[in-house]
Amino acid sequence: MVLVRPRLTDFHKIFVDQQSVSFAIPFLDEDIPLYVDPFLLWKSPSMQDTSLHTSIIAAFNWIYRLGQGALREDAKRILVELSECQEAGLGQARDKKGRRISLGKAEEILGVLDSIPDVQSQGVYHIEVIQLLVEGIGKDRISDFSCNLLKSFLIDYSIEQCRNLGIPTSLSSIGAIYNASTCKFETEQVELPINPETSTPLLLIPKRWLRFVPWINFDNFYEHACVKTAPGVIPDKSQKPILLNFNRKNYGLVTDFIETKARQAIDCLNDPLFKQIPITSARLKWSTIEKLPTGNKERADKIYENNIEQILASLFYPHLDFAQGQSRTDSGVHIRDLIFYNNRKLDFLEEIIEQFGSRQIVFELKNVEEITRDHINQLNRYLTDQFGRLGVLVTRNPVPRHIQKNLVDLWSSQRKCILVITDEDLKLMVSVFESKQRMPIEVLKRSYVEFMRKLPS
Amino acid sequence: MVKKSKLTGLTRADVEVYFKIKIQTEQLLNDVSELSKKHPDGAISKFKLKFVNEKLYEANKFLLPPYKPIEDFEVFDDSTLPSNSDVLMVLAQYLKCLELWRSSKLKRVKDTYGSHWEWKLDDDSISTTKPSTDAKFDEEEE
Repeated sequence: MVLVRPRLTDFHKIFVDQQSVSFAIPFLDEDIPLYVDPFLLWKSPSMQDTSLHTSIIAAFNWIYRLGQGALREDAKRILVELSECQEAGLGQARDKKGRRISLGKAEEILGVLDSIPDVQSQGVYHIEVIQLLVEGIGKDRISDFSCNLLKSFLIDYSIEQCRNLGIPTSLSSIGAIYNASTCKFETEQVELPINPETSTPLLLIPKRWLRFVPWINFDNFYEHACVKTAPGVIPDKSQKPILLNFNRKNYGLVTDFIETKARQAIDCLNDPLFKQIPITSARLKWSTIEKLPTGNKERADKIYENNIEQILASLFYPHLDFAQGQSRTDSGVHIRDLIFYNNRKLDFLEEIIEQFGSRQIVFELKNVEEITRDHINQLNRYLTDQFGRLGVLVTRNPVPRHIQKNLVDLWSSQRKCILVITDEDLKLMVSVFESKQRMPIEVLKRSYVEFMRKLPS
Repeated sequence: MVKKSKLTGLTRADVEVYFKIKIQTEQLLNDVSELSKKHPDGAISKFKLKFVNEKLYEANKFLLPPYKPIEDFEVFDDSTLPSNSDVLMVLAQYLKCLELWRSSKLKRVKDTYGSHWEWKLDDDSISTTKPSTDAKFDEEEE
């Protein structure tokens, strides 16, 4: 069975939703668009996290000290090796393949740190500071440096989580593990989950460490620096190399910024992998949908699809994790499919997977006045092994009687189930999302129950 | 001359249970009425529906045909997400039928002050208020 945007758990038929596990569930064919922010470890109330932050800083400063002596080439090679952590699967890469920094860039990092007397004498306190000093080092590198320096912990964490959930693991070789006692990097054979598409080991990363943008970041620094200095002193943001050079010579401004950010640490929270839209936004989207005409005049179909995608992804969370929205053209009409992971979180979702084999649920959106047989046939074509034998048609008006009969006949002949969600259902979903009296997913359950009752016994 | 009462199968305990159901149904009706004013089409919560169904189930034991309020209706199906106005309508129907049922179980007793109303009980006598329905009363005692 081919899954759309497969996740490690879904691939192994382990039905857990993202909300109920403590790690970010890795995608098999792309990276998670979040980064490890070392500041979250630093500010954590957990002694384990703060100790891990200390070990990151200690390791980094050790590498820097190594580079100050005769072993500069070794230090450069270590920095290069640390600069990419493919096993973590974080970042923006579509193919899960990142690149390491060059030896030249490693030399530049060491050279820049050498040129700052404060760093020379005390080392760095926050690894994120390198972003503010060296061109080409961004949030992805900081995240990769951190993951590599924490690899030993992440291996243990991944093994523990896999054991808890029953995720299969295999013995694999994993390199660049920093050993704090010998201050050396080692390669070990460990039991880790494997990406079945690339046959490479995966590391599970705690959700509590992840952010879209690090707390200490270049944009915030620039705003801070502009406030703290007289106009014209700070080079323009567009001239980043000049600005970074300015920072090296004015390291006090950098440390001042970091102290300010440390004071604001209470506001630094991890970013969720999915965030529901607020109630007011859901209401606005619903009122946009309600006023839309049917058909494709003035891009009404596109507006309908965009709004439905956002609203349903939020309304069904956390019971169904949103997987993907797809655009394609079929018989001249632009169609957006929504695909959700079936996390088996409710009794009827469990029934769906057992009866119809729907590990992912496909939603077909139709901004039409009336559903026709063509629309049913189109969705029916998707209901293969990939999506199981249950699909949902999201449309504007209740389906006519002859189509309802058609849906029952489809079940009778092929045991396929097509549920219909209309504007009325959507209105109820938004209403219960607002009132919190019910879960919006129960409206989908109602459609399912009503459909099953229509079937001949 | 005193008319001899037929056995009705109704006891004091039944009347006590009836009162409890009636009072609670009235209160539920008031509560749901408030909700319904704000969100008539909003789905009622699972928690509230559980109590509504509990009272309907108890009332159904009394309201056998011809007093059954709604044909083919026993209790609400949780999976169909009944709305506040649906629940309001059904509770109102039940309340009316409970009163109708009560009317059928009463008798008017003449006394020195005129007359008063009593339950037709097999084991006891309990005075009650005048029925609010126009039902015909088949027995009257002097």
